[in-house]
Amino acid sequence: MSSSRKSTTRQAHRSQKNLPSAERELRSGSKHRTHPPLWNRIFSVWYRHVRVYSKNLISNGFPPFLEPLIFLAGIGLGLGNYIEQMKGFPYLQFLSSGLLVSTAMFTAAFECSFGTFIRLEFDKVYDGMLSAPITANNLLIGEMLWAGTKGFFFTIPVMIVVSSFRILPVGRVMLAPVVGFLTGTMFAAFSLFVTSFVKTINHFNFYFTGFISPMFFFSGIVFPVDNLPSFIRPLAELLPLTHPVRISRSVCLNTVSLPLFFTDLLYIAVFTFFFGLFAVKRLKRRLIN
Amino acid sequence: MSEAIIRAKNVNKTYGRVKAVKNLNFEVPPATCFGFLGPNGAGKTTVMKILYGKANPDRTHDTEISVFGYDPRYEELQIKTLSGVVPQEDNLDSELNVIQNLKIFGRFYQITGKTAQQRIDYLLNFMELSEKKKAKIRELSGGMKRRLIIARALLNNPRLLILDEPTTGLDPQVRQLIWDKLRNLKKEGVSILLTTHYMEEAFQLSDSIIIMHKGEKILEGNPRELLKRHIEPHVLEVIDKTSVEKLERFAPDGNFRKEESRERILYYSRSVSLLQKMAEELAAGEYYLRQVNLEDLFLKATGRELNELQ
Repeated sequence: MSSSRKSTTRQAHRSQKNLPSAERELRSGSKHRTHPPLWNRIFSVWYRHVRVYSKNLISNGFPPFLEPLIFLAGIGLGLGNYIEQMKGFPYLQFLSSGLLVSTAMFTAAFECSFGTFIRLEFDKVYDGMLSAPITANNLLIGEMLWAGTKGFFFTIPVMIVVSSFRILPVGRVMLAPVVGFLTGTMFAAFSLFVTSFVKTINHFNFYFTGFISPMFFFSGIVFPVDNLPSFIRPLAELLPLTHPVRISRSVCLNTVSLPLFFTDLLYIAVFTFFFGLFAVKRLKRRLIN
Repeated sequence: MSEAIIRAKNVNKTYGRVKAVKNLNFEVPPATCFGFLGPNGAGKTTVMKILYGKANPDRTHDTEISVFGYDPRYEELQIKTLSGVVPQEDNLDSELNVIQNLKIFGRFYQITGKTAQQRIDYLLNFMELSEKKKAKIRELSGGMKRRLIIARALLNNPRLLILDEPTTGLDPQVRQLIWDKLRNLKKEGVSILLTTHYMEEAFQLSDSIIIMHKGEKILEGNPRELLKRHIEPHVLEVIDKTSVEKLERFAPDGNFRKEESRERILYYSRSVSLLQKMAEELAAGEYYLRQVNLEDLFLKATGRELNELQ
């Protein structure tokens, strides 16, 4: 809020003293008459998503349990038999430490592309929400936090699977949901940015086949990026997923290098901030038009 | 009369090349019902959206908008705290049931727990939906959904209710029910702003109406007075153009106004006896003699041709 606007609001408050009593009561009488604070505005967006999502908890929440199992069984046990070690670790360990964050990416990317588009264009959910005292900014920040939360919770099933099969040490895997949250918000910001350009829902196919799926393979989950040809390596370093994967892996396998850890964290923060900002700026024009 | 709660001066809105709203001025006094009438594409919805910050008006220097003293361009939160909005399209959460929809919306206003429960019970009772408390949204009829959205808009006890085509597509029983409820709310001191293309609705509810056409205000005033001032009180509708020949001898008299509308001819006049005389020339099924209504005025003001959005 600019300072000039602040002062006009202050003036408005001061001038309320001179208003007729009915009008004064109307403006600030009961405790609900001042608009809800920022935390409540963002929280209620988040809360709406939680409630709607958890309505179908079984069908929504079961696949994330199965997916890592299938992947670990198929790739880890099958392919893993032929690969003795990857970067000095058993392949199953190497793979699981990366898989911990990929589910967070997928869920956030889906939520803030298809999900957001449906809420925006088909179900008109946002039109309803924006008739309540929240701003478009509040709404979009709530979306990102919700996708981050999904990233957090979707990491838990993977965490349970890899720790119950004793693939990774329980104590270290416990940190994975936090990385899941960061991955979730990061891909929420980027997916909202992509959504802001999308006119028909089919365009998301390009996003998923052209960007999200290749990223799964070139961000160090299934094989280390440092083994890629030298001309592809910088590209892999640019990919957003590479960084949370490295954080997750270094924490799980106890190979943390602090400078690299903080560089990755910084990348995630800067990426989320800027794409979040662009996404909010662009989508706001579609929400308030 | 007390001070206006909504004041709009020189409001303009352009979408690409289309001027959706042109130099609109109006004031809404408290505890009244103010109606916006116009064909689709007249700019009614845009005006509503501008008032609660869902659309930005053009940046013209002399534009002034105030709702309860707040400017929707900068203080949308204050306005939305004091107002309830019923958008044109149903946007309930279909995954949830009736009560859950209201509870989740209550969160936005920080209405929770027991207070929320009491308020929701009251509103469901008020909108005659108590029996549908636990029903899924998919199981509700169109009329029930609309009533539920109105109940949702009333959660925070608004001083202003903004309704965008509240009864479009509903059956007569539900329309009557909604009208009764809106009248009750007005009695309680709630100001109502509504858009509609049902003349009957505007006539029944509004203390004041604005007829809009292509973004412009064409007429404004109390519906009854508008009829008195701007159109003849009686009309003879001749259903088949070909039977008009029988009426030609009345033409030199000229005490009527003739309007053509595709297959029909309408004779508007101040003298009901003249129209009766004309009607005697026609066979029973060929005409319809009646008092004018808002629809006649509306068509006179906005023209009978369809625009590209209709």
